[in-house]
Amino acid sequence: MVTSDPTYAIEIRDLRKAFGSTQALAGADLVVRPGESRALLGRNGAGKSTLIAMLTGLVRPDAGLIRIQGTDGQVKDGAGADSIACVYQKSTLVNDLTVAENISLGAYPRKKWGPVDWQAIRSTAVEQLTEWGYEHIADRTVADLEPLEKKIVEICRALSRGPRILLLDEPTAGLDEGGSHELFAQINSLRERGVTVIYVSHHLEEIFKVCDSVTILRDGKDVLTAPTSELTVEKIVNVMAGVTDEEASAKSRDKDEHARLTQRQEPGEVVLEVSGASVGHRVSGVDLVVRAGECVGLTGLDGAGHVQLAQAIAGQLRMDAGTMLHKGKPLGTGDEIDAINAGVGFVPEDRHFNGYVPEMSVEENATLSIVDRLRSAGGLINTKQRRRLFNELSGTWAIKCDGPTQAVEELSGGNQQKVVLARALASKPDTLVLVHPTAGVDMTAKESIYESLQSLRDSGKSLLIVSADDDDLAICDRVVVMYKGTVHAELAAGYEEWELVGAVQGAEEAVA
Amino acid sequence: MTTQTPTLTGTPPRGRAAQVGRSITSSNWARELALLPVIALAMIVGALMSPQFLTANNILNNILVTSAVLGIVVVAESIILISGYFDLSLESVVGLAPMLAVWLVLPAAAGGSGWGFSAWAAFAVMFVLAIVVGLLNGTLVARLRLNAFIVTLAMLILLRGLTMGLSGGQTLSGLPPEFLALGSTRWFGISIQIWLFALILAAATVFMRSHPVGRKLYAMGGNNAAAAAAGIKTTRLTIGVFVAGSIIAAFAGLMLTGRIASVTASQGEGMIFTVFAAAVIGGISLNGGKGSMIGALCGVLLLGIIQNILVLSQVPSFWIEAIYGLIILGALVFNYLAGSKRSRRVV
Repeated sequence: MVTSDPTYAIEIRDLRKAFGSTQALAGADLVVRPGESRALLGRNGAGKSTLIAMLTGLVRPDAGLIRIQGTDGQVKDGAGADSIACVYQKSTLVNDLTVAENISLGAYPRKKWGPVDWQAIRSTAVEQLTEWGYEHIADRTVADLEPLEKKIVEICRALSRGPRILLLDEPTAGLDEGGSHELFAQINSLRERGVTVIYVSHHLEEIFKVCDSVTILRDGKDVLTAPTSELTVEKIVNVMAGVTDEEASAKSRDKDEHARLTQRQEPGEVVLEVSGASVGHRVSGVDLVVRAGECVGLTGLDGAGHVQLAQAIAGQLRMDAGTMLHKGKPLGTGDEIDAINAGVGFVPEDRHFNGYVPEMSVEENATLSIVDRLRSAGGLINTKQRRRLFNELSGTWAIKCDGPTQAVEELSGGNQQKVVLARALASKPDTLVLVHPTAGVDMTAKESIYESLQSLRDSGKSLLIVSADDDDLAICDRVVVMYKGTVHAELAAGYEEWELVGAVQGAEEAVA
Repeated sequence: MTTQTPTLTGTPPRGRAAQVGRSITSSNWARELALLPVIALAMIVGALMSPQFLTANNILNNILVTSAVLGIVVVAESIILISGYFDLSLESVVGLAPMLAVWLVLPAAAGGSGWGFSAWAAFAVMFVLAIVVGLLNGTLVARLRLNAFIVTLAMLILLRGLTMGLSGGQTLSGLPPEFLALGSTRWFGISIQIWLFALILAAATVFMRSHPVGRKLYAMGGNNAAAAAAGIKTTRLTIGVFVAGSIIAAFAGLMLTGRIASVTASQGEGMIFTVFAAAVIGGISLNGGKGSMIGALCGVLLLGIIQNILVLSQVPSFWIEAIYGLIILGALVFNYLAGSKRSRRVV
């Protein structure tokens, strides 16, 4: 390849960075042409985040070359946040301000004597939003927007400063199927306008809808760059994991074998019984039954009420009408303690919000829900018992950490999620309610979580997996689909993908 | 292309895990005791500046005795801060609680109520007052979700006003022996004030470190929503923490009154700033969830030593406040530098 071609939007050569003894990047290349849409893939720890941080100038490289096309179209040496528009997984919008003000945030147009020019703010916003067909939301408050609208506002703001390069980090997080599709269409139209896109996502199927080419990082190096058309999901997974195709197919044969051996026996007696449950205005009159040793998926569009139903079961929300019984004990009281004591473990939707205490140790986080049961004779915590319990839990979920006393905030996303899963299991529940159990974790962690979930089910626990992720639902024995607050369909394992998509969207023929 | 087999299960090699585990524990201790070198330095400076500094009499009767009351209030505030809240009104509890007790006991001629309460009955009423104050603060903060800063600021003003009203702005003295015992008793030649501080500090240390409720408070301060999701009764605990803080502060106020053998209308005034300074210098985070009682103790000792040196070195008293403020700022910066050594990875 030519080394310094001015026609590259991004040119990174032999980039190196070490943090202490860890070599985060060990000679990575990334060369992207203007208007190209490139997926940047890799497992957690492969160097993706470091590479992005250096692109935007947050981290200085130890060695290597970075050239980026500036807002004026000229290629310059060095990184810079101002020449790349970044849209991260987490919202950076100010909820209480209007969309228009958010778009101009921090770069307010001024009038002659200095006051903020509100008309210019509004017209800039309308101009940007019109390109997306969303000009009608300019005066709304961000807090009132749908997830997709928020994402679009973020992208508009990022691009309003003039950059020709857009970096999207997990852009479909929090979007439902319809929202994701519309976002893909919008991203595709961006490319036609000559915007270069760097796309980071754990959802590999998205890559094929949005990206022209793929760069895969592993152990701080780029191990594969290829057009999307030459790749398959399977191939990408193998490269990310660093296994050859032959090894992978051998593994999948093992898996099929394993699946046959662990064919589901008839599920046991009813453990969780929900009848006529209503929660706020989101859930109305839902019936649901989960048996021992059964894994039930619960899905729906954003706002379909499936998440609220799960939260009510776990005691996070109070049920307004109906009954919920878990092994004869009432649930839905709006008190987490009741749910825990009744034998329900809960994995909340957003681990950063209410999943873990960042500064506390892995061990304490994992046992937080049962800290009262760990008392020794004097009333103080029995640390030996706690350590024993933690070792057991950490084995079940394959948590990787430097030791039980490491702070959770220092772990990777996948391992943080496993700590939250461990916490749900600490109370030795009969039923686990998991909301988005694999949100924002990499493929390896995901598979590890699935393995643990399956062996829990096989040991007779009941699982209720609330998710919009196809992979999460694929491990379920049956999937209950909610639509606008009621149960709309129920699909037995082995359903076709179109059946699920149809049911989620509320299609009538899918009603079971 | 290097092939690395993905490990789906398994824990890191044992040797490494054990080794890192140990280094983490020792760095925790290092963080808690980060102020020890500074305290040592302050003591060397003190010894150089004044021959009286390094005498048992000065250290026990001046530094430790004057630090005891402050230290106990710091313990109370630290527990509240670790839980993720503030309580500014502690300083006015330090004033109002003993004022009420003394007022109930003293005859009208001495500025009291003339109701002739026994000292013990007065103590009981005093603690009831502390509980009511804590319940009010806690309920407003935990149930009505009002901001702790403004709630306890209003409470501070209210209680200060009650103290004024009760005393008519006067200093009440001529206290019964039960009050004075808290100031003058000595065990093994050491003032009871130091013993009580040590006792309360030790109890708080064990409680926060090893009692389930103490750990719940850390969890609550570190991430309230996560604590609630784990089934911790955060509302009840929040109220409990404010009540406990208030009770401890009332006891500290009583000790102060016992030591100076009188209670002034302005007892405790301005104390809360020093309390916050000691707690924060000692590594208690204002954002909650972080810090330890041992750290808070170091903060208290450092401030006590500095105050003592300033007095001994005969700095003109008009300048003491300014130097004190400057030293607190310096200590905060030092603490930041000591704490940020922990290398942080971006990835």
